Amino acid sequence: MTDPSRPDDDLWQLLDDPARHLACGADVDELLEQAADGQAGQLTGHQRDCPHCQAALQEFSRAWEPVRRAAVTPVPFPAAVRNAVARQVRKLTADVWYTLDLADGGAIRIAAHVVARIASEAARKVPGVHVVFGRSTHANIAGLAETATLRHRDPRAAVGVLGRTAVIHLAVAAEYDQELDAIARDVQQRVIAELRDKAGLRDVLVNVTVDDIIT
Amino acid sequence: MPGRGPLCPGRDGWHAASHLAAGRLAGPRRGGGIQTDAVQAADAYLVERAQEGYLDAYAELVDRHGGLAYRVALRLLGNHHDAEDVAQEALVLAWQQLSGFKGESSYPTWLYRIVTRRALNRIARTPAADSLDFLTDATDSGAGPARDVERNLTVDAVNAAVAALPPPQRVAIVLHHFEGLSNEEVARITGSTVAAVRSHLFRGRRTLTKTLQDWR
Repeated sequence: MTDPSRPDDDLWQLLDDPARHLACGADVDELLEQAADGQAGQLTGHQRDCPHCQAALQEFSRAWEPVRRAAVTPVPFPAAVRNAVARQVRKLTADVWYTLDLADGGAIRIAAHVVARIASEAARKVPGVHVVFGRSTHANIAGLAETATLRHRDPRAAVGVLGRTAVIHLAVAAEYDQELDAIARDVQQRVIAELRDKAGLRDVLVNVTVDDIIT
Repeated sequence: MPGRGPLCPGRDGWHAASHLAAGRLAGPRRGGGIQTDAVQAADAYLVERAQEGYLDAYAELVDRHGGLAYRVALRLLGNHHDAEDVAQEALVLAWQQLSGFKGESSYPTWLYRIVTRRALNRIARTPAADSLDFLTDATDSGAGPARDVERNLTVDAVNAAVAALPPPQRVAIVLHHFEGLSNEEVARITGSTVAAVRSHLFRGRRTLTKTLQDWR
């Protein structure tokens, strides 16, 4: 039997009791659930008149407080994990490379994801553009290039090298009140210019998809 | 190459799109739980872009939800080292399996499922952790050093008690009480039933309450 004036000892014993019911018949597990879920203040009709239930809810709420405190303690996301994921995903992605120079002194190549990044950076500078995701030449195009050049590939060239011609895909979110075709053209021009200047890519095709509007 | 702007190759190798997307992409709710429509719409947009091969969209998803993977792994495994491994495995696996994600659940729910399974596999393969270093890197709001020490000791005790629970109870307690998921969501994530989840919660709560009664 539970004495509401001394809820502690009996409650802890009740947690081990197979029956787990208070003297009033209330289920201890359900009271603990109610308290742990932060609902101890929302009393049922029975609980409003029951000192056993009220004492148990109060005690369980107090007992559960350290758990609530632990649950809201921040757990920072380690930068090491984020970086390791980035490296692995990059490795998993069938990346392609652009060859800028194949001279006797060696090859100069630039990774397609770097090209995509330069393109995204350039696109973001266009007024009216808010969000840009850049993607360089599709892996399947790289595959085709690889197949096509299989027999004639320069021994210094790596798999997937596409020469100086780049195909860039940009997904863009633009401001609502802007002329979208003008924005898309600005994006194309700026990306083409920057890739020519910064990466030395001669022939650049830029496909712009305005796929969202910012209101 | 331009200066160290947000899209320049950063020290971490990701294309950091998150702050540029501010205003467009609503952020996830801390600690899990039900997401708002705006957050879900932003996640759906990012998932779609990532499925099309935009790596930086996946980077944004990792920024938004990587913390969830690490937090859950830490609470299930009880130590930072294993948690880092499992979070990393889960986030790479999520990328590999992203094409199969059909949006039938929210992205976080899908990620919870992956990280929980990876953590359970790790628990099954390895003996119980002998070091519980939960708060090594945790920050605090700062109510004085003594108060912080006391709070950290309590939090350590809770985390140790959770990590000592049998795995099914541990998963239920972590997902429901720490991540704020409903019993139905926990059942979906674990491939269980709501009745089974409640049963694990009942048992886990009883054990935790008894273990922690000295820490009140």
